[in-house]
Amino acid sequence: MVEIKRYSPVAFKVSPKRVEVRDNWTVVLEYDGEGQGANYLVDLSHITRFDVQSSNLDAIKPFGVTIPQGLCESNLQDGLLINRMNGIQASIFCLSGKKPEMPSESSYTETTEVGMCMAIFGKNVFSITEKLTSLDFMDPAKKTPFLYQGPMSHIPCQIITLSRDGEKCGIIFTASRGYGKDMTHAIMDAGAEFGVKPAGEDKFKSWLGSL
Amino acid sequence: MMTRINQLPTLRVDPTKKVVFDYKGKDYVGAHGDTVATALYYNDVRIFGRSLKYHRPRGLYSLDGECSNTCMEIDGIPNVRTENTLVKQGMKVKEQNVKGSAENDMMGFIDKLDFMMPAGFYYKTMHKPASIWPVAMKQIRKAAGLGVLSPDFEMPGKFDQIFPSADVVVIGGGPAGMSAALASADKGLRVIIMESRPWLGGFFDYRTFDYRDENYKNNKQLYSRARELASKVESHANIRVFTHTSVVGTYTNNLVTGFQIGKDNDKFTERYIEIRANAVVVATGCIERPLIFENNERPGVMQVGCVHRLARTYGILAGERAVFSVGHDLGLEAAIDLFDLGMKILCVADVREDGQNPHLMIELAKRNIPYLKGWVAAEAKGGKRVKGVVMTTLDGTISRDFDCDLIVASAGFTPLNGPLTLAHAKLRYDSHTNFFVADKMPEKTHAAGRMLGLEDSLSIEASGVIAGLKAALDCKLMKESYGNSDVDALKSEIDATVAKQKELPGPARGSKFVTAPVKGRKSFICFDEDTTIKNIRQAIEMGFDVPELIKRFTSAGTGPGQGGIPGHNLPLYVAKYLAASGAPPKPTTVRAPLVPTLIATYAGSKHIMMKRTPMDDMQRADGGVFRKIGVWERARYFSDDFSCKKEIENVRNNVGMLDGSTLGKFRIHGPDALKVLQRVYVSDMSKVKLGRVKYSAMCNDDGCVIDDGVVIKLAENDYYFTTSTARAGATIEWLRYHTRFDGWDFYVVNLTDSMGVINLSGPNARKVLQKITSEDVSNSAFAFSGYKEFMVKDTIPVKAMRLGFVGELSYEFHVPSSYMVSLWNMLKDAGKEFNIQNFGVEAQNVLRMEKCHIILGQESEQRTNLLDLGLGFLWDRTKKDAKTVGAVALRQAENDPTRFRLVGFEMENNGRAARDGALIVDDKVRGYVCTARDSFTLNKAVGMALVESHLAKVGTRLEIFEDECGGERIYGTVVPMPFYDPDGTRMKS
Repeated sequence: MVEIKRYSPVAFKVSPKRVEVRDNWTVVLEYDGEGQGANYLVDLSHITRFDVQSSNLDAIKPFGVTIPQGLCESNLQDGLLINRMNGIQASIFCLSGKKPEMPSESSYTETTEVGMCMAIFGKNVFSITEKLTSLDFMDPAKKTPFLYQGPMSHIPCQIITLSRDGEKCGIIFTASRGYGKDMTHAIMDAGAEFGVKPAGEDKFKSWLGSL
Repeated sequence: MMTRINQLPTLRVDPTKKVVFDYKGKDYVGAHGDTVATALYYNDVRIFGRSLKYHRPRGLYSLDGECSNTCMEIDGIPNVRTENTLVKQGMKVKEQNVKGSAENDMMGFIDKLDFMMPAGFYYKTMHKPASIWPVAMKQIRKAAGLGVLSPDFEMPGKFDQIFPSADVVVIGGGPAGMSAALASADKGLRVIIMESRPWLGGFFDYRTFDYRDENYKNNKQLYSRARELASKVESHANIRVFTHTSVVGTYTNNLVTGFQIGKDNDKFTERYIEIRANAVVVATGCIERPLIFENNERPGVMQVGCVHRLARTYGILAGERAVFSVGHDLGLEAAIDLFDLGMKILCVADVREDGQNPHLMIELAKRNIPYLKGWVAAEAKGGKRVKGVVMTTLDGTISRDFDCDLIVASAGFTPLNGPLTLAHAKLRYDSHTNFFVADKMPEKTHAAGRMLGLEDSLSIEASGVIAGLKAALDCKLMKESYGNSDVDALKSEIDATVAKQKELPGPARGSKFVTAPVKGRKSFICFDEDTTIKNIRQAIEMGFDVPELIKRFTSAGTGPGQGGIPGHNLPLYVAKYLAASGAPPKPTTVRAPLVPTLIATYAGSKHIMMKRTPMDDMQRADGGVFRKIGVWERARYFSDDFSCKKEIENVRNNVGMLDGSTLGKFRIHGPDALKVLQRVYVSDMSKVKLGRVKYSAMCNDDGCVIDDGVVIKLAENDYYFTTSTARAGATIEWLRYHTRFDGWDFYVVNLTDSMGVINLSGPNARKVLQKITSEDVSNSAFAFSGYKEFMVKDTIPVKAMRLGFVGELSYEFHVPSSYMVSLWNMLKDAGKEFNIQNFGVEAQNVLRMEKCHIILGQESEQRTNLLDLGLGFLWDRTKKDAKTVGAVALRQAENDPTRFRLVGFEMENNGRAARDGALIVDDKVRGYVCTARDSFTLNKAVGMALVESHLAKVGTRLEIFEDECGGERIYGTVVPMPFYDPDGTRMKS
């Protein structure tokens, strides 16, 4: 009898300490040896994401949250992160971990499976990212949260900077699911000198709550 | 071992910290902070290597790695610039390009054969008869070249890369660069400063004696001022300092690239740096223009800065008895300072008749240093190292000999304007400074410091401040976020600083180009390539009159020094020699990298970024042999037998599973979705029915097939479609591009990675499927070209299609990627009783080829249109409003007899299959083999080929030419397609 499970494209070389099965995903809440590190990498590939497209995007309020009007602006509210990608398109990340009902309008497409999704946070996040991308996360012209649609480790990504504030610095990003393994390797390698560690969802939620 | 002067305030070495390294198998001791070159010099090593062509002895010259003189092999890495490389504990250093040793090189005799090697001798000799060249080439390669690298050499160390962002990048960490950085940073801008030496300070860093000391309060010495500026820069919150970082390229839009050499506590050996900035300040200063005289590269001949820094920075006196032959005040200053440090200065010859700083003249006189105005070194004496020098008046009428062990020679200065020229600044010759200066600066790029001809320390700093402020203005004008309120104030500040600078000394008069009155047989203009001024004259006399061409013909400036030594002298010499033409000197072209860079540094951390399907781990565990296919890694084979016989036979006779997840997958929805499909597909997409799969193709405007796949209707104006793996990345752009003028309301979502694809194929496929679903999958309920959506175990949503790419009963399951492994395992479990097996991409390739189903890119290339492939049946000519992409071209091509046709063929006499890509020929090329394989199903070799239409008739004999066939052709015969199951009974039943 085959057990039905969902598999993340991301895997770390450390053992999970605590897990929770959610919608057939085995979500790691904490990894062995997670402790109090300087920088963390968290797999969020299981969190529900949507794509919403409409020529009248401003009229749409996904789950009651406003889509930002400015290009590449983001809005983080009640665990829902909405990113304006262009004039007709936005991406939605349900960071709370709860899976909302799929809206009935045809303008929504669930994109959870399209990409891997990870968060990196800690005081050296931007020293790590500058080893992987030329995107300017510290551009004073941008106010957090904001979206970049650009390359990281040469791979097209959506990268949302949630904080640039000292130890709370952090980003969330998605890239094509197929790159999960190599992207994880690239980030862990780039972050090695900064002591980056894999962390579970609890650590992420704690960080998110601190913002 | 020499005695080091340990108490100088300018020292950058710590003599109390010993560094032991290995040179040719023996231990040597240097000091912490020494470069390999200075440590060797401290240990009395004078000959570092031999020259490229003549195997002449070479030694220290610039101390900045401007030529290959001191390139050596370090820890197995050849051609390392030892003047720029800090010595480390346990380093292994070897000389290179020698037969024997650098001291006694058996190839040294070649130096006497220079008469046999005039300019361009490679081009003029050894070509007739042509058979000589391969023999000669081997001998030349043995004798010439610098370091040797084994092909299997693995680069030690960790190489990394960073892509930092900045508002202003300052290239050069001297006084002008530091002033510029501070000026920009004080305006709130993010600044990066890049300095090639391991510390900031530039040409202030080593200078204590200076007639301009009164420029600063309390007669602060220049080195002290440099450290004061460096301290401010290093502690400024807005400035990021990269020392030991060489700039290798500057590009449009203020992109600056370089590499940094790691310090002891850094996590990298070297790292590539790429900075995108809003403005750039170039303050790279000057190098010295070499003085040209006989044997001007003999060990013991050094530039002023080399000798001076060797003493002041490293505490090493380069010689005991020195003769100076210079053309600038820094030379006089160095002579005075070195005299004070204990060096005997036999004389100072100055090519200038006037213009010397009177303070320096007084200081020389105070020390009784003989001063020869209008004199120049004519010839260095001594075999392997300097033992004397012949000095002469400029006209050569009077000469004097000196016994010395050091000749300090420098004709003038050369601005390091490489970063400007790479950024497309136009250079012109300035007769006052004798510099090539930028006539028109690139946008948002500013120059500062000595490269402008400034020599006064306050002027240099002021020019830096002005450049920094101008860079800040550039940023503020382009960035709203900084607020434009202070733009006017900034402009006023710039004006005020410029006005103040005008009160300071401006660009100094540069020394004219002077060569000693000698024949020039051993007067080297380029040390790297052993090019003499005699060679340059030979080239000119052969008709070359442009420095760029002379550079190519004589190789001058094409060595590892990247033109540092000859870059200025070559155009000046050519202009002087061609004085009659009146043309001003023209600089030669500068190209990146400006300094030699390790390939390993460019490679960086070597992350391979490939896409992997959800089945990757499992397929590897099942023995999959993976290959890179586009952006994906895919299992091509499942055994060592690359003919895939078992995999193929299993699909034909039983059941197999293929991971097809790499297919492009898209959802298109919105009111005009159908119109878009009608535009890009050749078929009438309005005929796509719910519950059915429609196969079609996309063409470009030339009617050439660019993609194919299936389309499924999910709801009204809501479709799911697939593309080929290779085209998935371009599909959305393709749709948007071809509808860009229509204003249609539609939306596309790329679902390629979100859906895994399992291809279940073979006569037992239905039996396996039926075991995991309660859905009726009988042939009547789920017929060929049918489409169903169902849940497996009430959990896994599946989009199922009944297809037949491999020519058997086949299902394609599109399933959320995260569930892919689970569904695969279920099918595997269900198929256990049939001994279900994996099959890979190569087996699929053969199976579909037997069925004559095409793969784009395999059966097509850029010029292959829909009709050539026999897919004309897909094209609906009656679509009225669609303006189908490619339709016009297809109409024109319809009756074109010159087009290729896709044909099937089988090999004659049970011969083996022709290789893919083999040519179809008669007396001309008539086509090519697309795919051909030995078919185990058909028991013969078959294939498809694109051929000229007159060869397309069944029964035609095809003559096939394979690469390296040695004139032996193989033959095939055109046969009807498809080869296998022509009625499609197997895939439809």
